[in-house]
Order: sequence, then structure tokens, then C-alpha cells
Amino acid sequence: MEFTKKIVETTEELFNTMIFLEVSADPPFAEGKQAIGCHVSAMIGLTGDFSAMLGIHCPETTGLAISGAMLGMEIEAIDADVKDALGEIANMLAGGLKERFAAEGLNLELAIPTAISGKSYTIASSTKNNRVIIPFNIEQGQFFVEMKYNLN
Amino acid sequence: MKYTQDIAAATQEIFSSMVMLDVTPGESFKRGDSKLCNSISGIIGLAGTSKGMLAIHLPNEAALAITTAFLGMDVEEIDEDVCDAIGELANMLGGSMKAILDPGGSDIQLSIPSAVHGEEYAVDCLADAETVAVPFSFNGQTFMVELQISKNS
Repeated sequence: MEFTKKIVETTEELFNTMIFLEVSADPPFAEGKQAIGCHVSAMIGLTGDFSAMLGIHCPETTGLAISGAMLGMEIEAIDADVKDALGEIANMLAGGLKERFAAEGLNLELAIPTAISGKSYTIASSTKNNRVIIPFNIEQGQFFVEMKYNLN
Repeated sequence: MKYTQDIAAATQEIFSSMVMLDVTPGESFKRGDSKLCNSISGIIGLAGTSKGMLAIHLPNEAALAITTAFLGMDVEEIDEDVCDAIGELANMLGGSMKAILDPGGSDIQLSIPSAVHGEEYAVDCLADAETVAVPFSFNGQTFMVELQISKNS
């Protein structure tokens, strides 16, 4: 299924064509749950030939840089604009993955995005599900794209 | 508000049959962007002819009490078991709402659940969606179940 490859390709394509930030992927985290120190996240559910949840998780500086680049404005705090921008990025990443899986005959539908923000929170995955977390780097720092999935 | 009765009935049924707790619904409300403190949220997406998100938000004490009742074992802190139990509750609530929104059973599907917990966080709906939250109480504890259904679907 090559989840890692598809996530990396989709994320790089999105950042190159829509956000105009240089992005590079690090190797995915080893299996397991870990608290990633983030301040703003967006998540979206996927259903269809398999079930999944895609998330993008950013520390504050990276979240501000990404949403600022996408919206073409300077942003100084995690506000509604940042959450909307990340929600739209989650939506587009899920859309890109949907296309890549469709090319292999696997059909997916998207739910609606949700933003999580705050000073301290942890996103857990059910121990029953598979989880891929890939760290990405931009000039301002790191962010993470996560996909939890269950192949039914 | 639309769906209030459905959420109340689905939640009461799941709690009485699976968690062995009687929960009492209160007045539904719009949660807005209020922050959640020392809480855990189970979130699951719905996609298909209706798109949406269902969430259950619980203060830590309520989550511990429910997990203890649900799993039949004592839990004292928000650990993997609690996250799994709350994710599973979101999954069951999503399943009930799917049956209500899509009685035929083929037009809406559920994503996998996710659990978020922390000292202070916000969970915001980003789509143009109808949202409703229903509070529940049991044994002096409270929690809420929130449904968001996209207006574009």
C-alpha cells in the first residue's frame, strides 16, 4: 500500500504547488505512540475501501509559517486563520491521497476537517489500528503528517 | 435542535447496554470554540452522502469512571486503555448516528476514531456545518456528545 511513499509524495507536491515552501521528509517514526510537542493540528477522516484518519501536527512556529505562506500574510498567533489554513491543508492532503489510492483501485471518501489547538495535548491512536507518522522539515522547523488506518 | 433526540437516545442506549451506566441528557447547545480543560475527546469522521464528525468530550474524572465501568478494571490515569475506550465509544456513537442518518446502511461510512487529551485544548469545526452538542450527566459527572454535519453534503 506504500502509505509512507504516498504521504511523502502528496505532502511534497502540496507544499511545492500550493504553499510554496521547501519541504523535506525524514524517515517515518518507528511504530508506537509518542507525544509530539505540537500546538495546532488538523485532522480529517477517510472512509471507503479502508478506514483512516489523516492529521497534520505543527509546533507553533511551524504552524504560523505554513499558514502564513499559504495565506500570503504574516500571522503572529494561532487564530481562526491558522486553523482554517491547516484544515484546508489536511483536506488537500486527504484529497491527494484519495487520488493516489484511486489510481490503484481503492476508493475513499473524505469526512470534514477538525482543528485541535492548545498549549498541551496528546493525540493517541487506538492500539488496534496501524499508524504512520512522518516528520517533515521546513526552514522554520518541523511538522508531522500522520495517518492512522485500518484495512478492515 | 435537529439530531438532539437522536444523540440523546443513541448515547443512553450505548451507555446502558455497553458501559452499564445510566446517563441523563440535558439541554442541547452550540459548543462554539470553548476550550476543553483536563479532558479527553474521542473523535470520528463520517463520510459519504452526509459528511461530518462526531465527538465525545469528557473531563478526565468522567473518562476514568466510564473506562473503569466499560472495561471492568480500575484505571487511575489517562493511559492507553482510556484512549482506546474513549475512541471505541466514539466509534459506537458514530455507528448509531450512521444508522439514524443512513437507515439503508450503504451511503455513509465511518473513519477510524482518534483520541485527543490534554490540560487545555480546543476542538474546532472547520467546515460550514450544522453543529449540536448534548450534555449528559451520571453520578455527579458530566460529558458531552457533539455532532457536526456538513451543510454541503
